[in-house]
Amino acid sequence: MQALRTAATGMAAQQLNVEVISNNIANMNTVGFKKQRAEFQDLLYQTIERAGAQSSDQGTVVPTGVQVGGGVKAGSVYRITHQGTLNATGAKLDMAISGRGYFQVLMPTGETAYTRAGNFSPNDQGQLVTEDGYLVQPAVTIPEDATDIVISKSGQVQAIRPGQTEPEVIGAIELATFINEGGLDAIGDNLLLESAASGAPTIGTPGTDGIGGINQGYTEASNVDAVTEISALIVAQRAYEMNSKVITSADEMLRTASNLRS
Amino acid sequence: MDNALYVGLSRQMTLRRELDIVANNIANADTTGFKVESLMVETEPMAPAHTAGAPRPVKFVIDRSVGRDFGQGGLRSTGATFDLGLDGNGFFKVAAPGGEEYTRDGGFRLDDTGRLTNQQGLPVLDEGGGQIVIEPEDGPVSIAQDGTISQGEELLGKIAVVRFDNLTVLEKVGDNRYRNTSNQQPVAAPEVVMHQGMLEGSNVKPISEITRMIEVTRAYESMAKMMDSNAELSRRSIERMGKLN
Repeated sequence: MQALRTAATGMAAQQLNVEVISNNIANMNTVGFKKQRAEFQDLLYQTIERAGAQSSDQGTVVPTGVQVGGGVKAGSVYRITHQGTLNATGAKLDMAISGRGYFQVLMPTGETAYTRAGNFSPNDQGQLVTEDGYLVQPAVTIPEDATDIVISKSGQVQAIRPGQTEPEVIGAIELATFINEGGLDAIGDNLLLESAASGAPTIGTPGTDGIGGINQGYTEASNVDAVTEISALIVAQRAYEMNSKVITSADEMLRTASNLRS
Repeated sequence: MDNALYVGLSRQMTLRRELDIVANNIANADTTGFKVESLMVETEPMAPAHTAGAPRPVKFVIDRSVGRDFGQGGLRSTGATFDLGLDGNGFFKVAAPGGEEYTRDGGFRLDDTGRLTNQQGLPVLDEGGGQIVIEPEDGPVSIAQDGTISQGEELLGKIAVVRFDNLTVLEKVGDNRYRNTSNQQPVAAPEVVMHQGMLEGSNVKPISEITRMIEVTRAYESMAKMMDSNAELSRRSIERMGKLN
């Protein structure tokens, strides 16, 4: 019976939906996290020919040949790259991007990863690193004796050293932008990698050419909206239940058939 | 004499298919732009199940066609720039490998070259049948209710929305797309309103689907009962008539 398999595809799709929603909720307080959305598409249709089927048009209800669908599949899980709200932290090396762009991070493998999480800190050599200790690119080294660090909107990092009146430029943050941000591959730890779908990165100075500016002393919160996620969760759960009811019905019909005595 | 059995069987076959369709509706209750379907049955005109001249004609039942309700689905807000919801009777045009195809699913995005595509990466077409290319660094993209795309002051094109006067020519191909099976050309549909940052949900009404499912199961059962008692009847008549005294 096709209905059994169709309902099973429906349950599988809703299960994926719940997984995506729960990941969003779990990452509600993750710095720079972008929420994801599962998108569904109908599966192939089996067309059963009926002579003279295409005969009439009755308002919105339109008779065609008998086409029986095979259920649903998850087309893709799409990342929604809205701006998250900026939270003031007061930490000198916390940076948040307002607008488009990603910080560049050098992975231990030599690859460049991209992130929106700008909660950086210096390592033992004074280099600017992420929470996991990966170097921020282009590298910025904070002088040991710096009394204050100032990061401008355009990413210029300046250090104020004792005995000097003028701040000294010690580096500049550059941001990468992509044509299709949603196509970046997430690899965990708030990091993303370039993929065939995202296109090649364009590196630029913050605050120019449509690239977002840098805000010192802020981090970008996730763009997850709890109310939306919870209501999506309720819808997904009910849809899952309904699909399971279809399986019960199909099963009942099969039982009726097998109980026929003659 | 076994007419009742055969008529019952023909009904059961259509009921099974009806459950398949209900199952597909429920499975796609969360699919963007999905349109609900129902099975249409009628009496089989070709093969009357009675001997010529019999007083009461017996007719089989056949599933003639699938009715598709193209009514509007609810628009829900997503906030994504390239999510477009259609309000009204129209379709987006996408360039599929086998020619133009049509969809109500406006969950679009940019590919790695900046083309506006649907989820499968098929380019969305503008009014002239061309592709739409957007450079995201030029600023926020806004899409007007008539499909005009602009970035700041610059006009980038107009997303095509078309309408079919006779919707029966459309055939579903899966992936939320429809194919035109006739020579009838779609016409521009300026009356359809496009909403940026919204997606059209399916127009499946869960309550009516569940109700239909219950009806199908019960009708199937009662057909089985009828066939069962018909068999019982013939068994009894054989028993009675077979008795010698």
